[in-house]
Amino acid sequence: MVDVNKLREKAKEVVSRDDVRLLIGYRPGTYGFRARPAFVLGPDEVDELIFTPACVNNLASYITLEEKLPVPRGEEPDLRKVAVMVKGCDSRALVQQMEEKAYDRDRILVLGIPCKGVVDMAKVEARFPNVLERGEIALEGDKFVLSFDGTREEVAREELVADKCLRCRYPTPLVYDELLDEAVERFADDDYSDVSELEKRSAADKWAYWEEKFSRCIRCYSCRNVCPMCYCEDCVLDRLQPQWMRRSVDISENTAYHISRAYHLAGRCIQCGECQRVCPVDIPLMELNRKFYKDVEELYDYEPGTSVENPPLLSTFKVDDREDFIL
Amino acid sequence: MAVKKLSKEKVGEALGELSKFRLIAPAKSDEVVVFKQISDPGEAFLDYGNSTVPPKKFAFPQTETLFRFMVGSPELKEKNVEEEGTTVIFGLRPCDARAMSIVDKLFSWDFDDPYYLKRRELTTLVGMACVEPPSVNCFCTSLGGSPFGTEGLDMLLTDMGDYYLVQPLTDKGKKLEETLSAHLEDAPADDEKKAEGMAKESEGKIRRSIDTEGIPEKLPTLWDNELWKRVSAACLGCGICTFLCPTCHCFDIQDEVDEGGEGRRCRMWDSCMFEEYTLHASGHNPRPTRRERTRNRINHKYSYYPSRFEVIACVGCGRCINLCPVNIDILDILDQVVDA
Repeated sequence: MVDVNKLREKAKEVVSRDDVRLLIGYRPGTYGFRARPAFVLGPDEVDELIFTPACVNNLASYITLEEKLPVPRGEEPDLRKVAVMVKGCDSRALVQQMEEKAYDRDRILVLGIPCKGVVDMAKVEARFPNVLERGEIALEGDKFVLSFDGTREEVAREELVADKCLRCRYPTPLVYDELLDEAVERFADDDYSDVSELEKRSAADKWAYWEEKFSRCIRCYSCRNVCPMCYCEDCVLDRLQPQWMRRSVDISENTAYHISRAYHLAGRCIQCGECQRVCPVDIPLMELNRKFYKDVEELYDYEPGTSVENPPLLSTFKVDDREDFIL
Repeated sequence: MAVKKLSKEKVGEALGELSKFRLIAPAKSDEVVVFKQISDPGEAFLDYGNSTVPPKKFAFPQTETLFRFMVGSPELKEKNVEEEGTTVIFGLRPCDARAMSIVDKLFSWDFDDPYYLKRRELTTLVGMACVEPPSVNCFCTSLGGSPFGTEGLDMLLTDMGDYYLVQPLTDKGKKLEETLSAHLEDAPADDEKKAEGMAKESEGKIRRSIDTEGIPEKLPTLWDNELWKRVSAACLGCGICTFLCPTCHCFDIQDEVDEGGEGRRCRMWDSCMFEEYTLHASGHNPRPTRRERTRNRINHKYSYYPSRFEVIACVGCGRCINLCPVNIDILDILDQVVDA
């Protein structure tokens, strides 16, 4: 695990640089086991920074999420770099964003964190409810060690780890300027067994399954906003003239919303799982995204967000591309 | 008249009795607790903490058709809320009922909102006291509420183990007690006293708090304070904190027209955290970033609302804290307001 002193030292060095405007990392949350994003502007602000298995957020989203006001006449835009801490999975979002030419590589400074898994906070809070004072989580071998309210609990890794970590192919960031720890070798793989199970169901079964889920959707758009690949300056959902998608919250519009989003992520989703993590009504959105991910890998031998040199899937064409699925 | 109790064995038949009305109760959708209209008493899930989405949508639907029209025709087919009929919301938490009484002030202020008010008139609220605070982030007692609070409720149920203590609070509540009389029995004489003790005990278990004294007056003085940048830096601009808030009541009105020209004018929840919420037709946006939007959310709840209606538009249910994807915590923000 990353040594916290080393992490803060490195952060101090980075935010002190003249060409760095901001560093995005993690700091402890306001209660219990939570951690939250930290926005560090100067060397005197690094002392809160941490990296632990509670650091679930994909900070790559903030690179494109930042709102930039028009630069007043006579002033120069601030072109200094944004430094960002990323885990293996999160780094793929940066790679994919850069593949799509969302910004230039030299606009960001990447501090890579090799990672052996983060927790599923919902599982942690279900297991240890009502923890208010700050609790710590560490990964020691194959156990999470949770310290809170003067006690120490050990829990097997697989009981609290986020599902995505159980099939993580890229524990070490794929793009970085500096790694903050020893690289971690691939220790898991993805057999898509969950997707295969869903594929086997009948159409009627699948519809009943998704109808229940989509009918709960409140269209808060947290799945879109947290998504590092949803960075269109002008989202089709926000358009009122013409209104491409209705605001009405009902099963029909909700379904149209989620299917549209899944299609927009085909060949682009890098499986950070943030959409599903943030959903307040537990819609298993990654099941849709993973179906596309599996299809893309099987059909085109392509994995999004794995190399800045790769062109985005949908901007490539080979004469022998599979097309037998076209009706 | 003796205080009544509803045996847990008879909850099913009581709900069956109530299903002659539009009956809303907490129910499970997969593992998520939501309020929904139930026809089968077995669907009700009363042993819950609190629902993810508050029951406000049964007074103020997320999408509501106000009237239907045909493009080119002057005729309108107006909504008649009366058709929805008498409604009973069964088992909501005291904070969510109190929230409704707070929102009532807005919808009956400069304009009497006929849809909302008619629906409220038709609705009876049956609360379920929080014998245990449902969440570590509950702070209702800081806002004048209580886990056993009765404000806004017509009837309060308290889980006494094998049965619920039934306490009607208003005429509507008394009427409902009559409707249910065949399923009720006399409660032990000292139960009300016992419930008072349980209320104190539950209040004592609420661990988060804020002293709101002075906050409504202080907030306007912090307009340009750098704290807003700090507390909003991580904000994603999603609608979780507002849509899941039992007192948030902002709406937008839009026309939705089908290809054949059949249309409907809808009112739908809007969120001040959305970018286009204050976007002007000119392209100018007076709240251009999440800093201004976050500032507005806090100011609206803790300053504008109390200055107009003498009550803070927050009931301390803790949903916005529990479900914010980036741990933006309203009590953390208010602490910074106090310290600023």
